[in-house]
Amino acid sequence: MSNNPAAEAQAPQDIQGDGRWMSLHNAFLHDAKEKEPEVVLIGDSLIANLSQSMLWKQMFEPLHCLNFGIGGDRTQHVLWRVLNGELDQVQPKVIVLLVGTNNFDDTADQVTEGIMVIVKAIRDRQPSTNLIVLGLLPRGEKPNKLRDKHSAINKRLAEELSSLPQVTFLKVDEKEFLTSEETISRDVMYDFLHLTSEVGYQKLCEPLLEEIQNLLGTFIKVSSTS
Amino acid sequence: MPNPAAEAKPVDDIQGDGRWMSLHEAFLRDAKEKEPEVVLIGDLLIAKLSQSRLWQQMFEPLHSLNFGIGGDRTENVLWRVLNGELDQIEPKVVVLLVGTNNYDNTADEVTEGILAIARAIREKQPTANLIVMGLLPRGEKPNPLREKHAAINKRLAEELQDIPLTTFLKIDDKEFMSADDIIRRDVLYDFLNLTVDLGYQKLCEPLLEEIQNLMGTFIKVEST
Ligand SMILES: [Ca+2]
Repeated sequence: MSNNPAAEAQAPQDIQGDGRWMSLHNAFLHDAKEKEPEVVLIGDSLIANLSQSMLWKQMFEPLHCLNFGIGGDRTQHVLWRVLNGELDQVQPKVIVLLVGTNNFDDTADQVTEGIMVIVKAIRDRQPSTNLIVLGLLPRGEKPNKLRDKHSAINKRLAEELSSLPQVTFLKVDEKEFLTSEETISRDVMYDFLHLTSEVGYQKLCEPLLEEIQNLLGTFIKVSSTS
Repeated sequence: MPNPAAEAKPVDDIQGDGRWMSLHEAFLRDAKEKEPEVVLIGDLLIAKLSQSRLWQQMFEPLHSLNFGIGGDRTENVLWRVLNGELDQIEPKVVVLLVGTNNYDNTADEVTEGILAIARAIREKQPTANLIVMGLLPRGEKPNPLREKHAAINKRLAEELQDIPLTTFLKIDDKEFMSADDIIRRDVLYDFLNLTVDLGYQKLCEPLLEEIQNLMGTFIKVEST
């Protein structure tokens, strides 16, 4: 792997000039120290916006979840955050990763490798934790090259992740997000990218919550027999 | 001297999925099919309002349409206004909030961009009431963008006061901050975007009051 920007940890430049990204990273470090999450979700705006959905309060908060999503993050930015302490002070039972849609100008192989490097960094820090890697979602009203790229990334992720212990690749069927004409409805993704706070996040989170609860159940069982 | 913030411009589809133009076309369809009393137009701060509880509870019953697009700058909203989004409708109130994404333009450039949009809206909808919202503070700690937004708001307050049927509505910055001028994450969860409950409440309580006042006035004017 030579010179893949998607797989090289990087803090984004503060081109806007208000320091928000680093403020959020520091807020997450602070949360990690103060709270004792059972579940940590890390990624881009699809993770961040979940914290503003109805489901977060109803389903995720009771599970003691922390949300380390930052809008606009690419794989290299999440990698930087993992390598710079966000998962060092916590002992979650489950970590959820969703990132890659913002690497729009990287190839499918570059993005896949970027995600795989994050997976390795998470496993190095949290070897006994269950990791759920979410497949990339379709985007754009009509079929387009980014949808094809996301399919290619998901196919490779499914293969590469299948041999890793305690790692689950969870891909919600694309058809869930599409109409019969393969368009995306604004009831599901209000801007053809971000999930609506009710219907959209339900489609992502019902299978996710089921998987998290399975893993938490297994974890508790394993802990109590050892 | 050319001002990029005041020259109508569509968004380049650098990401390659055509979302911006898809949204513009969806808004044109909505405008044709629905008969909104209220239209809100702007950037992500407007777009995400559609995902808040307040939207369902308060804005939908008022027959509101949301023409917000994440990332939009003044020049992009200007393009949308000049390209049909307000042509097929007769709303009583139009709400405009845009400018935070023009981070690399000067305060004067952004102010003129917003004024250009206000003028374009006034031409398209000469009898509608226009509410121009002041820019919100952003960034955890005091920073140059907060100062720039304060300068923009000061100029907007002056320039808009002489335009008929136009209201400038600015929420006190302190609503979004703690006593030490730090932005609260329970109000702006990423130091820019409003939280779905508390954040949008702070923006929308005064906005809804103003909208309801204007709709009352409008109805009174119509019936006399
Ligand atoms: Ca562990």
